[in-house]
Amino acid sequence: MSARGDAMSTPGASPRGRVRRAASSGRDLLVAAAGLAVLVVLPFVFSSPLLLDFMIRLAAFAIYATSLNILIGYGGMVSFGHGMFFGAGAYSFALLMQKTGVSIPVAIVGSVAYCAVLALVVGVICVRLKEIYFSFLTLAFQMLVHSVIISWVTLTGGDQGLTGGIPRPPFLGIDLGEPRPMYWFAATVAVLCLLAMRHLMQSPFGYTLRMVRDNAERAQFLGIQVARIRLAAFVIAGCFGGIGGMLMALFVSGAFPEFAYWTTSGEAVFMILMGGAARFLGPATGAVMLLLLSDLITRFTEFHGIVLGVTVLVFALVFRRGVTDFIAQALGRSRAA
Amino acid sequence: MDPSALASCFASLSCVVTQTTSGLIIGALLFLVAAGLTLIFGVLGVVNFTHGSFYMLGAYFAYSAYVASGSFALAIAAGALGVAAFGLVFERVFMRRVYGSDVLMQLLVCYAFILILDDVVKMVWGPEFKSMGVPDAFRMPPVSVAGGVVPAFYLFLIGATAVIALALWVVLVKTRLGKVVRAAAINPQMTSALGVNTGAIYGAVFAVGSLLAGLAGALAAPVRSVAPGMGFSILIESFIVTVIGGMGSVSGALVGALLIGLVRSFGSIGFPLFVEGIMFLAMAVILVVKPSGLLGREAAR
Amino acid sequence: MTEPTSIERRRLLGAATASGALAALGAPFVSRAQAKPIKIGMPTILSGRVAQLGTSSRNAVMMEVEKFNAAGGLGGRQIEMVVRDSKGQPQEAARVSRELINSDGCEILFDCEASSGAFAVHEVVRDLGVLCLHNISETSALSADPKIRIPNAFRTARQGIHDSIAGANYAAAIAKAKKLDRWMTCSPDYAYGRDTTAEFLEYLKTFHPGVEVAGEAWPKLFQPDYTEVVTRLLQGKPQAVYSCLWGGDLVSFIDQGNIYALFGQTQFFTVNMADYTTLTAVKNLPAGMHTGNRYVKVFPANPGNAAWGDAYFAKYKEYPTNWSWECQLGMQFLTTAMKKTNSTDGKKIAEALRGMKVDSPFGADGTITMRGEDQTIIGYATGWGTTLAQDPYVKDVQAGDWKQILQHEAEWKKKKGYV
Repeated sequence: MSARGDAMSTPGASPRGRVRRAASSGRDLLVAAAGLAVLVVLPFVFSSPLLLDFMIRLAAFAIYATSLNILIGYGGMVSFGHGMFFGAGAYSFALLMQKTGVSIPVAIVGSVAYCAVLALVVGVICVRLKEIYFSFLTLAFQMLVHSVIISWVTLTGGDQGLTGGIPRPPFLGIDLGEPRPMYWFAATVAVLCLLAMRHLMQSPFGYTLRMVRDNAERAQFLGIQVARIRLAAFVIAGCFGGIGGMLMALFVSGAFPEFAYWTTSGEAVFMILMGGAARFLGPATGAVMLLLLSDLITRFTEFHGIVLGVTVLVFALVFRRGVTDFIAQALGRSRAA
Repeated sequence: MDPSALASCFASLSCVVTQTTSGLIIGALLFLVAAGLTLIFGVLGVVNFTHGSFYMLGAYFAYSAYVASGSFALAIAAGALGVAAFGLVFERVFMRRVYGSDVLMQLLVCYAFILILDDVVKMVWGPEFKSMGVPDAFRMPPVSVAGGVVPAFYLFLIGATAVIALALWVVLVKTRLGKVVRAAAINPQMTSALGVNTGAIYGAVFAVGSLLAGLAGALAAPVRSVAPGMGFSILIESFIVTVIGGMGSVSGALVGALLIGLVRSFGSIGFPLFVEGIMFLAMAVILVVKPSGLLGREAAR
Repeated sequence: MTEPTSIERRRLLGAATASGALAALGAPFVSRAQAKPIKIGMPTILSGRVAQLGTSSRNAVMMEVEKFNAAGGLGGRQIEMVVRDSKGQPQEAARVSRELINSDGCEILFDCEASSGAFAVHEVVRDLGVLCLHNISETSALSADPKIRIPNAFRTARQGIHDSIAGANYAAAIAKAKKLDRWMTCSPDYAYGRDTTAEFLEYLKTFHPGVEVAGEAWPKLFQPDYTEVVTRLLQGKPQAVYSCLWGGDLVSFIDQGNIYALFGQTQFFTVNMADYTTLTAVKNLPAGMHTGNRYVKVFPANPGNAAWGDAYFAKYKEYPTNWSWECQLGMQFLTTAMKKTNSTDGKKIAEALRGMKVDSPFGADGTITMRGEDQTIIGYATGWGTTLAQDPYVKDVQAGDWKQILQHEAEWKKKKGYV
């Protein structure tokens, strides 16, 4: 499922590579600007609050799923525990807002910093392990984070979550208490984060990461410090995963232990599966699909497990690739992301 | 933390006996589930995340058989054999397709089945918990052993598990079939080239692993409430056991299960709040220091 | 102990899906003929471990709504319940609540979420300003904490603090009489378990100061194996044990305790035994266990209670749960307020609800009051009795004294800084 890219291409070294990179990053900027424009205009065309709510949640999950794909698709590191960052981002942001009364931008920075430290500590221990053991250990750490959230009742509210709502003092003239500004804020954060992640993955670091994914031994021989690259990827993924959690915390005006549960990790994996791990926008596409699917299923049946399970099986065993992979194939582009 | 309570327990023979046997009890069921898991990983190279759901199915099959017939023996057979059959079909139709793929694919297929099976069970048996009840044969006061108490049913449980553990060891180590299975685990291509039907071996091993999980469910059903989703907690615990004992090593599963059982049992007296933390810590330490586990050999895959 | 066979269940499911599909289509023909329906959104848990919470709530709600609609509704306007599954996840509860209000046109929210979900729904309701009744959550902070309380949200469920005071009072009397001074507890390790147990112990010590707590066991919620807890209790040799385990956990604990002969040696005080699902699932119910009441037909001992329980059983082939009567009560409060104000306007209904007293078979004195100052119910029947191995399953139920409960609750609120 993870695309084995062309390990021979290491652009950036040659002048032509630099030009190609600049052109592609210019293209990315254009796509991002266009996307943002569409998103900003959307509420004027469709004034449905349901759509705005959906897009805010989509923003959170698109960032979160794409951040996990940095590890899975680009890094070849299958983390089972990414939910710990979603939860950590949500709780740290919510706690900062509830307990310290700082402004929202300061709380965002604080939350990202916290996730970075958490990712550093966990990553240092995990990234040295290979494959299945890495997966197990990330899962174990996530269960640990989850059980700390549940047990530290005085700080986190335990299994009831952070109650009482998150205060939203206006900042820079933006009032997140109003639905439209909240939507615009989420959309902008999502576009900026995706752009940032895209830029990182298209940079020399990103290509080095892919080289490490494809053949770690060879990369080592070429002088690349494999563990350090992996750790950097882990920290980056953790930070962006936390930003996704932060958006979700704003949406529900609180934070709940479910954010850090293994089911949240599983949802991100499903999104990557359905959307495709090989293209950059695959996980975001998968986020749209999974959110639509799960929102619609519960309207019609209580047995959403069967519907979701069968869908996953179809994608895993029959299609064996995600939607964006299909699209890329159809468009004739065989070059992996 | 209550070290004084722990110390006074060690000082009292009846406490030591009771707690040790309760550790054996916890470990016994855990061993059955973990043994199947580790066997499947050792021979087939796949992590069977659906294993907890097999345990759940075993409990449900046993419950229905017992309600229908009143015979505990039949309930055990239904649980064990029913799940073995299901496991065989599951392996032939689904797992075979993901043998070569990376662990993510295996996880996805298994997780999909966890979701599906939880809902199927809910559809067939209903969402509320069910209770099978201890069979009449075991409805007697607990047996007194050296001052401590052990319920009769649990003595049966420990005995049954010991017999199964012995049987597994004998088959794997002493018989030709066991040698073939171990050969297929170490080098499937070579084994196949030597004329052994590795496909059949894989199916058989998966069926045996599932049988063990279903048997565990059937044995647990009399004393635990049977509900959809009951497989999850034992899945996590059996993962911890297999990691600590060594993925692929049945004797490692035995050691790990007993260890976890004793930690929980004595831990509930001495350090009740840290039992979970200690288990995860142990798993983390093993993964970092010796990933192949206490008794596992260095992974050949 | 009748459980629907799988065939009956499939038929029920088929009928439910069909009628649900029809309702989803909106049955346009019908609504043109009648006045605009009153749409009430009901987020609840219909799947997962605690699916029974949602199904038994929905059953009770539908029974009450059908009665109301059959009697003409509100000036011809019928109530239409829009029930959604939140899968037990609080973020889903928030999303579903917003959807019910924003897109499905629900004017009122009838929240049947468990405590973390209820807090999530509460924030949505705070944001959108819609009238909301919390029918399930027993967490006191939802109504008692002025930082959380909002004027448009009401609770029609029992409160943990009330039950703890009543239970401790009952237990203290028995402890005094039978000299039960050495206690241990065994409760699930989550907010409900921790808070309820702590409150019970505090009031037990207040009412009977000689009590000593020799140890507390905290199994995890939905933990399957209680062996180490049972043996720890055996080692501790307490004279009495308190537990607020519930549902499948309580059944497992009793089954596993039974084979260790745990219950012959100590007096057990369990909050949640008197619930038909639990009572009928336990295979060897020890007689003489002390239990609080969740829902039983025989307490309060009045014909209205028994009649309602029988009517529920006749319709749904299973007995009501604690959640069921709370939802019936919630719907009764709502419809009474709607009739009194002849409106569905949230503010008017809220005004009517504050201080409202209704006749109820579940009331300690035949009535239940919605206290105005913190918008939660008082005066519901909370009692403790002892178990029997067969129907009616409980006997000698003593009702809690509400004067005493309210007095101690007021002190508790002061201590917590809620006033």
